Amino acid sequence: MTTRRSFLQTGLAGSAALAGLTACGGGGSSSSGGSSNGGGSGGGGGTTPPPTAPILVIVQIDGGNDWLSMAPPTAGANLTAYQGKRTTLRIDAANTTDLGSGIGLNKDLTGFDLLQAAGRVAWIPGIGMPNPNLSHFTAKDIWGYGAATPDGTGWLGRWADQVFSASDVLKGVVVESIPPIMLKGHAQSFVSITGSTGFVYPSYLLRTDALAAANTLATGWLQSLTATGTDPVSLAAYGACSASGKQFYDAQSQFNTLIKTRTPSVPYPGEAAYPVKTLAGGNLTAGLSNELKLIAQMIASDLPTQVYYARLGGWDTHSNQTTDHANLQRALGGAIKAFYDDLASITTANGNAQDRVLIATWSEFGRRVQENNGGTDHGTAALSFVVGKKVKGGLYGGYPNLADLDANGNMKHTTDFRSLYATLLERWLGQSATVTDQILGTNYTRLGFL
Amino acid sequence: MATFDAQKTSWIASDVLHFARRAGFGLSPEAAAQLAAQPVGATVDAWVDGSGAGFGSFNAALNANADPVSYPQVPANPNVPGSEALPADPAPHPFRLESWRQAQNGQAYWAWRMHYSPYPFQERLALFWHNFFATGFEKVRSLGLVQNLIQLYRDHGLDPFPDLLLRVSQDPAMSVWLDSVLNQIPQPANTAIPNENYAREVLELYSLGVDNGYNQTDITELAKALSGWSFTVKTADLEVFPVNPNPSPKAGTFAVYRGQNNPDGRDYNGRPRTTLPNIHFTGTVNFLGQTFNAGATTNYGEDIVKAIPSLRATQCSEFLAKRILLAFVTPSATATALQDLAALIRAQAFDLRAVFKALFKSAYFFDTAHRYTLAEGPISWIVRSARALALPFSQASAAAPFKYPAWMLFANVGFEQAGMRFLDSDGPNGWAEHLGWINSNAMRYRGKFAAALAIGENVPYAGNTYDLFPSSVPTWFTSAPTTALDVYNRLIALLQPAPIPATVRDGWLAALYPGTFAWDATGQTSARRLAYLILCSPGSQLY
Repeated sequence: MTTRRSFLQTGLAGSAALAGLTACGGGGSSSSGGSSNGGGSGGGGGTTPPPTAPILVIVQIDGGNDWLSMAPPTAGANLTAYQGKRTTLRIDAANTTDLGSGIGLNKDLTGFDLLQAAGRVAWIPGIGMPNPNLSHFTAKDIWGYGAATPDGTGWLGRWADQVFSASDVLKGVVVESIPPIMLKGHAQSFVSITGSTGFVYPSYLLRTDALAAANTLATGWLQSLTATGTDPVSLAAYGACSASGKQFYDAQSQFNTLIKTRTPSVPYPGEAAYPVKTLAGGNLTAGLSNELKLIAQMIASDLPTQVYYARLGGWDTHSNQTTDHANLQRALGGAIKAFYDDLASITTANGNAQDRVLIATWSEFGRRVQENNGGTDHGTAALSFVVGKKVKGGLYGGYPNLADLDANGNMKHTTDFRSLYATLLERWLGQSATVTDQILGTNYTRLGFL
Repeated sequence: MATFDAQKTSWIASDVLHFARRAGFGLSPEAAAQLAAQPVGATVDAWVDGSGAGFGSFNAALNANADPVSYPQVPANPNVPGSEALPADPAPHPFRLESWRQAQNGQAYWAWRMHYSPYPFQERLALFWHNFFATGFEKVRSLGLVQNLIQLYRDHGLDPFPDLLLRVSQDPAMSVWLDSVLNQIPQPANTAIPNENYAREVLELYSLGVDNGYNQTDITELAKALSGWSFTVKTADLEVFPVNPNPSPKAGTFAVYRGQNNPDGRDYNGRPRTTLPNIHFTGTVNFLGQTFNAGATTNYGEDIVKAIPSLRATQCSEFLAKRILLAFVTPSATATALQDLAALIRAQAFDLRAVFKALFKSAYFFDTAHRYTLAEGPISWIVRSARALALPFSQASAAAPFKYPAWMLFANVGFEQAGMRFLDSDGPNGWAEHLGWINSNAMRYRGKFAAALAIGENVPYAGNTYDLFPSSVPTWFTSAPTTALDVYNRLIALLQPAPIPATVRDGWLAALYPGTFAWDATGQTSARRLAYLILCSPGSQLY
């Protein structure tokens, strides 16, 4: 029997064209949903029906994740190319668990060996865009727009335009203080909630001797936010300020009615009780943990939120990558695994939270294959991975051919990033194929992980 | 340059107020009236130059008692060898800016400076350059170095742009922030792959704009030319946090390898080093179509950085013009205006002092169509509001105890949630301006600041209670108001929001002054609440 790995190796010996092989989830890219994923434990034909009231959690891996250090090649021509260009930073196979297809999973991505073994992770190596220009900010904008023809709005913002009604101020929540372009629609946008306490109006007044005036002030403020500006020159900006103020005003009212206190059921990275530490032995960074804990609390409170957005920064590893990237992977992997486990303890009005939640990650680009002196510079094709109980685990899209790089020494992408969005919109958020294509501007191939 | 040819030859108080909001942090109506009696050109020149600004009492307070917040003791860490407790630090005291302090110490210090500076344009310009050349404490990990870069903007923010660009390129905080200190090409091999982080961003973010007149090869070549750029730290400039005794540099000296012994004895991390490694690329680089000798005969790449604005004069001037127009004039400049300002920049040989003076004296700048078209950044908004409502410096400094704002208690989280964790940018592109400042969370936190400013919030901290923004309602008024409308009109004159609809005004006044008007304690409390409503209104976010 030809195993997938031996097939891969045989194929490489002939063509050295990993990117051209369909072994790596090529069958997972189909608009009909036929999924022959490569190497995962899930798979099987047909699409996965989304659960009742599905929830999508987007995790941004901000700064350009060197995913070649997360899912490095462990066999074949890609390994040879990788070893040649990563003389000091390479991750040896001994530090990985097997993802199949000659790819390893860095053990520093804490907890993902277990998620992988359970078939809960879909990997999309080589996801990217045509004509990348290596700029963080251009790449993030393009990922955010998610459109065949960008118009300044984001794909989730346009989804919000489709599904939010005027009173739906909690349907899309970002747990960062500044919402990214991905969440901005023509008419709707996500509300930013950065903590479960203090999200009130008017907080100072409520806790001082001015309580009696609070309602008057609140009413007056709302009036000022909703009134039409009288200066025609400033109408656009005036309207934006009014809308943002009213969005907060409406959201805090609903949020404070619904939110319940909650203690996580598992330790998260950053806590003293979390067993995995940094390479130096300290606690991991808690930024993403705190955001996901807040999201778990909101899910447990049965907020009507369909999409949450979280972020972990620090991935721009031009230098000190050996230490920084390992620690970041521990924080990222550990936080997502803890969150996934934590969800199992949450019973919502629509069932167990773990059944309802899908976690999808993105990063603006992968990094240059050739290392510099201690780090890696900006590159192109990225890695996305999707975690969930309903996910058909495995590899989707082709792993880039590290022996066939572009003129700047960067990987050629193998899966259009908008295929990820199309899959999520249609097969998780329940949009029709027509609306999905309308949101993205054209018909992008669906991936088979759902 | 046609757009900027027409000069503003006379002005009235509302013109001055517009200028002061954009080129400073606002003025009172009385101060504006005084300036309106002065000629435009000379007044703008003096404002930009800081001529006549008296720093005596400002500096005296800053160096003695500017921070009213007492810091609790930080106990020694029993797990760290050599750890000692940091003693309690009772107020009043100067802002503590040792290099091992946190970003919030620097934020509070800078907020105080912006609030009271007699040369507000200097601080406004530093804020502009901080967003332009954004850096972050989180990576630099030295408050001293972060502060020094901001001081560089104060000292050199009006220099010719090529000079400023070189100074920033050689600044220690920037060198750590974008990895110049790790961009090394060991000699004599001369073959190492350079770290191109700074080379990319200096073109993309700091001079030309993305994909605007350069390509990936230019980035790689520039990275080679800048290899070996680093700085050294004198032993005397290392400061040690007693609780966790690692040294942090408070200053550094730019150095490119020249083969000599390192006179300072330490590298930027405070590690002993007697000789700088030979890590600068030798040979020629082809950059922006020119061939440069990146080695010893050409100042180790310095001339290459300074040449960017001249080699790509159109792109660089247009890039600067775009940023300046968005920050100081209008979010919707026409292509003609942008190109005309770029032409002005080139005609002035990138001399920023001349450019800003010409811009601020132009009729274009004062065009009424530009007023209230920009959403104001959170730091500017907070400082301008504090200038309007908190006790003026003369009264705050004369009070016993001193009544300066407790900026430390808002620093970091408060500023971050309002939308700008300044001194600690997430990335080298800084913060999105104009409507990028406006979102639901920003409005939430502006409401919190507004309450603290207008309502007069007291907060507990480490066993004490602080008035966040000490203020006195009577100081807001030049004479006692006799009607509710008097109160409103005066607050509008102080806070200067975009026009507020009359229906909103009438609703507020009816709710806050329902009966016979009296300027008693109740009337003054209502004035505070009215100020709060005005600050929270959408019109107050525009300037």
